[in-house]
Amino acid sequence: MSNIGRSVQREDVEGKVTGETRYGGDLRGPETLTAAVIRAAHPHAKILAIDLAPARAIEGVVAVLGREDIGGTNRHGLIKRDHPVFCDERVRYLGDALGMVIAETPEAAKRGVEAVRVQYEVLPVVATMRDAIAPDAPALHDFGNVLATQLIRKGDAAKSLAESDVVLTHTFAMQGVDHAFLDLEAGYAEMVEDVVTIHASGQWVHEERRLIALALGLALERVRIVQPATGGAFGGREDLSIQIYLGLAALTLGRPVRMQYTREESMIARHKRHPMEIEYTLGAKKDGTFTAAKVIIRSDEGAYASTGPAVLRKAVSHCTGPYRVPNVEADGVALFTNNCPTGAMRGFGACQLAIAYEGMVLAMARALGMDVVALKRKNLLRDGECLTTGQVVPVASAIDCLDAALARFGWADRAREAPSPTVRRGYGVSTFCFGVGYGDGYPDASRARVRFADDNVLEVYSGGVEVGQGLHSLLAQIAGEEFGIESSAVRVIASDTARTPESGSSSATRQTVFSGNAVKLAAGELHRQVMDAAAVMLGLHWEDLVIKGDRVVGVHHESVAAPLAWVLASARERGFLLDATAVYKPRTVAPVDDSGQSPRAFLTYMFGAHIAEVWVDIETGEARVKRIVAAHDVGKAINPREVAGQIEGGVAQGLGMALMEEVVTRNGRILNASFTDYIIPTILDVPTIDAVIVERVDLEGPYGARGVGEPPLIGAVPAVLAAISDAIGRPVHQTPATAERVWTIMQSPEPTLVTTWSLS
Amino acid sequence: MIYHRPQSIDEALALKSSLGQRARFIAGGTDLVVGIRKGRTTVDSFVDLSRVPGLAGLTRAGDTLRIGAACTHAQLEREGITALAQACETVGGPQIRNMGTLGGQVGTASPAGDVSVALIALDAVVELASVRGTRSMPLADFFVGPGRTSLEPDEMVLSVTVPTNRKSVFYKIGKRDAVAISVVVAAASVSPSGDVAVGLGCVAPVPFRPRKSEQMLRGHPLTSERIDAAAAMAASEVSPISDHRGGATYRRAMVETLTRRLLRTLADTPYEGLLSVAMSHS
Repeated sequence: MSNIGRSVQREDVEGKVTGETRYGGDLRGPETLTAAVIRAAHPHAKILAIDLAPARAIEGVVAVLGREDIGGTNRHGLIKRDHPVFCDERVRYLGDALGMVIAETPEAAKRGVEAVRVQYEVLPVVATMRDAIAPDAPALHDFGNVLATQLIRKGDAAKSLAESDVVLTHTFAMQGVDHAFLDLEAGYAEMVEDVVTIHASGQWVHEERRLIALALGLALERVRIVQPATGGAFGGREDLSIQIYLGLAALTLGRPVRMQYTREESMIARHKRHPMEIEYTLGAKKDGTFTAAKVIIRSDEGAYASTGPAVLRKAVSHCTGPYRVPNVEADGVALFTNNCPTGAMRGFGACQLAIAYEGMVLAMARALGMDVVALKRKNLLRDGECLTTGQVVPVASAIDCLDAALARFGWADRAREAPSPTVRRGYGVSTFCFGVGYGDGYPDASRARVRFADDNVLEVYSGGVEVGQGLHSLLAQIAGEEFGIESSAVRVIASDTARTPESGSSSATRQTVFSGNAVKLAAGELHRQVMDAAAVMLGLHWEDLVIKGDRVVGVHHESVAAPLAWVLASARERGFLLDATAVYKPRTVAPVDDSGQSPRAFLTYMFGAHIAEVWVDIETGEARVKRIVAAHDVGKAINPREVAGQIEGGVAQGLGMALMEEVVTRNGRILNASFTDYIIPTILDVPTIDAVIVERVDLEGPYGARGVGEPPLIGAVPAVLAAISDAIGRPVHQTPATAERVWTIMQSPEPTLVTTWSLS
Repeated sequence: MIYHRPQSIDEALALKSSLGQRARFIAGGTDLVVGIRKGRTTVDSFVDLSRVPGLAGLTRAGDTLRIGAACTHAQLEREGITALAQACETVGGPQIRNMGTLGGQVGTASPAGDVSVALIALDAVVELASVRGTRSMPLADFFVGPGRTSLEPDEMVLSVTVPTNRKSVFYKIGKRDAVAISVVVAAASVSPSGDVAVGLGCVAPVPFRPRKSEQMLRGHPLTSERIDAAAAMAASEVSPISDHRGGATYRRAMVETLTRRLLRTLADTPYEGLLSVAMSHS
């Protein structure tokens, strides 16, 4: 029986359901101290003086640490090293840290933080992107307020637009979004001999180790990161958070330390999804054939770079999505402000652009009087065609996903009548794509080790972190597959910098392809070692042997057989280690010239199609999503139930972004930094989600798998917006589409648009 | 911190009288504890009302229902008073509704208190008690500002009494379908003699009754024209603010929309049919 394509039960399910699983906040050692961070009082200010002495005088406070206690660069950041551990001259947002208090109790730590006196010279706040580019804007970094620019030049967009039959321009605006994972930043650190050992949840333990070692001025060997059980990440654990404070505290005091953010601190300190403004011009011929796109993207970067340059590149390189647009001129700019830094979040720039290009496709269908599904069919890429970056996609399966979604939805028979005199029914269809991995030539590799342990249990070692997505179970399925061993019998040792090889981040929808392949390669090598040993033991050529159940048997001579355990014992007696390591490091290519074109910007692309049914109260603007069908080409679903789970979770998160989630920021302050006011969907807000798994074999991934993580969110947002738009007859180009926004759109004088639907 | 658990209403009132302002009554604690954790509220001692006999009772007498202050929202979902049941169903989630009490709901005096809005729309009367005795007043008069009530420092909310013979209805606009503070909330009821009462939330410093609008309806049948005029009048009476939950323009417009919608429902629905009216299309 194959492990692949089976909905095996994950190894972490039971503990999570019974409550036995220990997350970062559950970890403690003997006589553990509590640490708390001293944060900025202003979004933008010069630091004149910091007086830590009053905090030291508080009863129960053990130590107060500041900039002078840091031995290294005092900087971290995933792309640019621009984020200070403790600010020395200036604070640039309210989450900036100035120092930390370590105390016997959480209460004493809090009192210590409150006792610190800081003298500031308050500086003007760069609150918006408009502020950032004003002629007299204060420069937030040495090089100004422009973090990055990105562009695409393909064909001649200006000329083509001038010759197009229909040219439409629309403006889109997307909000800041919080990751809202339930497992708050929390962890524990201690010194084990002279190694700072940090138990805290991130997304890439080996990179976190490097960043901490550099910032604190430690040799790499003196930092160890171990990931505890993690309750969600969604990109929100990519930038460093508590790990570095925990490490500094344990290192300085030599005592066990723990810390945990409050929800408010988590929301103020942690990066967000980039708010973006997009101006989009799309041209088409009378028959609907797209001719050209001109796209301008402005991205609010907040105070520090985080992964901003990569997010901007992903936005630009996905600006026409899964459509064939021969002429493209796209320009993106990322601007610093005094808002919360913005960085990675599920969708990584591609999500905002999907809202824009799908909004344009819908607008174009209306302008042409065409059925939007027919317009999509006309312009969706087919196998072997080129994306905007010039990259050829061998499997361009948006069209397959569209067909699968329409069939599952029962599109031809969908109801059209209004549910009540004040409620209208709307349908929205989205098609989209997403590049897997870091891409653009950025170093991207996964390593894995697979071995038979002394107790003959098959072991997988991976640095890849489990953040809720089911990675470790998937790696066990793949390793076991090579030996016919059930995944539940495979032991996974993971995400510990002292014990596991580096496997890159759990982000960019990359782990199934990257770590999956690394494990498959290592398992394949181990399989060769075992078969060699069996060949010697049984006197047959290794090609004439095969593993069947728990035995090695002759392919042509079933009478020749030995228990696998005997073979392993024999191998060890002859000095074999039964231990294999492999690296999977495929090539991607940076833009080859100043046109932004790349023959392989991303390793592979995922495609999908969603259909949403939304009911809109036309008097109040309230929109309720009644049903979503989400079809995704995942190449091969290694664990179909987990794939469906990722699709359902991504759709729910996308529904939140479409309808309610919004980080409201005024003058550098977040007004809704709590779960009372930052509204995420509850179970009552999430409708039936039909996950449709399409499997067109990927050329790169293990067993043809392509991954699933991010695209379900990307597809849900434009589908919901299109459905609202269908219900109210107006474009909806701003997120979230709250009742008030939808109502406001309906009050505007613009004439009602009619969506033309055909029974396609 | 001292935690008192009195065995009777009299003992509770005596404790409060002697302990003063910084002693707080606690029952479900769903609002008070949050306030303490956030540092909004300082408390020296608690007087726990959750086990005081006689405080969680529901008493029907004639055409009224007297609701003890320690009754939970979950209890009130099942009492057959439409607006009250609909309002209680929208409060928090099941855990909050099982803990949060009526006394806490009205004592908190939130302008966004969904159940308070339903209660004033039912023309509810609140009964207050202290060692000095008891007194009653219309609930709408009990609220004097955001978080402020007519309670004296030694007083507690003893009960709220609502009529059982009014047709009533409730509607809430929130940012999601559960555990959401309202953007705008409204309720309305009509008595057998045709008197209409309207309650509005999130559009004034207190749960608000648009008296001029109600006056326009007094003694007249609920015709479409009169309803439209009364709804427009209600919108002119409120004083909404803009905050991160919603803008003043939208809130004012929704006062008109919801008042019209609720009054039409009252006009169109047979007296007995109201419990099954699906106001929400969800």
